[in-house]
Amino acid sequence: MIPEAERLERLAERLRAVDPIAPSPGAKIRGWNLVLAAVEQSATVKSRAHPMRRLVVAALVAAVFVVIGAVAASADSLPDSGLYPLKGVVENLRGVLAFSPADQLAYHLDLAQTRLTEAEAMIARHRIELAGKALSALNDQLDDAALVVQAEKASDSTAGAAMESRLQQAIATHDEQLAGLQGQVTNPAAISAITNARDRAAQALETAGTPASSNGHGNPGASPNGKGQGNGATTTPHPSLNHS
Amino acid sequence: MRELGKAASDDDRPLIERVRKGDQDAARILYERYFDRIYNYAYARLGRAEDAEDLAIDTMTRSLTRLDLFKDQGVAFSSWVYRIAHNATIDHYRRHGKVTLVALDHAQLPPSADPSELAVEQLSNEDLRVALRGLTDEQQQVLILRFFQDLTAAQVAGIMGKSVGAVQALQHRALGSLERTLQGRAVN
Repeated sequence: MIPEAERLERLAERLRAVDPIAPSPGAKIRGWNLVLAAVEQSATVKSRAHPMRRLVVAALVAAVFVVIGAVAASADSLPDSGLYPLKGVVENLRGVLAFSPADQLAYHLDLAQTRLTEAEAMIARHRIELAGKALSALNDQLDDAALVVQAEKASDSTAGAAMESRLQQAIATHDEQLAGLQGQVTNPAAISAITNARDRAAQALETAGTPASSNGHGNPGASPNGKGQGNGATTTPHPSLNHS
Repeated sequence: MRELGKAASDDDRPLIERVRKGDQDAARILYERYFDRIYNYAYARLGRAEDAEDLAIDTMTRSLTRLDLFKDQGVAFSSWVYRIAHNATIDHYRRHGKVTLVALDHAQLPPSADPSELAVEQLSNEDLRVALRGLTDEQQQVLILRFFQDLTAAQVAGIMGKSVGAVQALQHRALGSLERTLQGRAVN
């Protein structure tokens, strides 16, 4: 009896000796023609796909440039510009990033100055309604700044006093500008809007000087999310003028 | 004599790069290099020239048009082609069912002096092929790749995704099964 290992080795040797079956020449030629056609088609599809991919990438790059350009251009836009709402979005983002009370105060005062500049420009262009909205937004910023000061005074009187002084200076500067502006205009609606803005600025200063518990405004810690955030073009409608 | 048995070599790589760039001459060289081997593999698995032809063409088409899917990370191109051929075989079985074209009862097998011993030298090639197709899928694959295609155990391990030891054990079991199949037919 032959051992299993030897028997299996003989069987393996026999399998090795099996002659390969070769395809007919015709089958091989037919096969190549089919494979070649598929390879050519595949190459065509890929070459079509590449320009498409390049087009998509180019479109994306162009879109990024357009967005960056629009954001940059919106920084100096005025209320009568199509880019003005975008300016509000950017300002809102800045507000979200103002964490400390000092940063929040600086943010509101900066926006207040921006609104005042916009109001001056709108009056120069005889866009009185837009000027009124800008002045109203200016006062919103000052109101929020006053609330930030008020809250800071309640928690840290020294720091709060320094911030109040800063707010006073800013309001005094604004009042000087508004007084000068008031002397230049003759339109009754514009005069009324400026007068109203000066009154509201004075009220904001009073708010800042009042203890937090006595005016019912509550904690202004979330001030950047308040009414005075951004230019008001994208979050809340511009308040309408009472004097127009 | 056995030209089919030469294992795939590293010189496939430059050809593959050329095919990827659309070089049809390189595609032709790879086609010539592998078509006969795959046809032979397919014939051993399916047993019909027409089916083997279709499967070989299908395998070569997939191999040469989907090179973007072939990652040259330790797996030889030849292994990839054999895997495609194996998958195509499984697809073929699913579509057409696994059939044995020559009934085992009809095979004329040579008797041996000792009924328990097989006169393997006297078996015809076709008898062996038919008996082989009666084995399990893995057993067929390992015997065809090792002995009809002359691949090393390491190459077969790469194709089948197994260790060399597992391939050797599978080969031993497959030879035993083949022997028993042939003996059973001889007795009948």
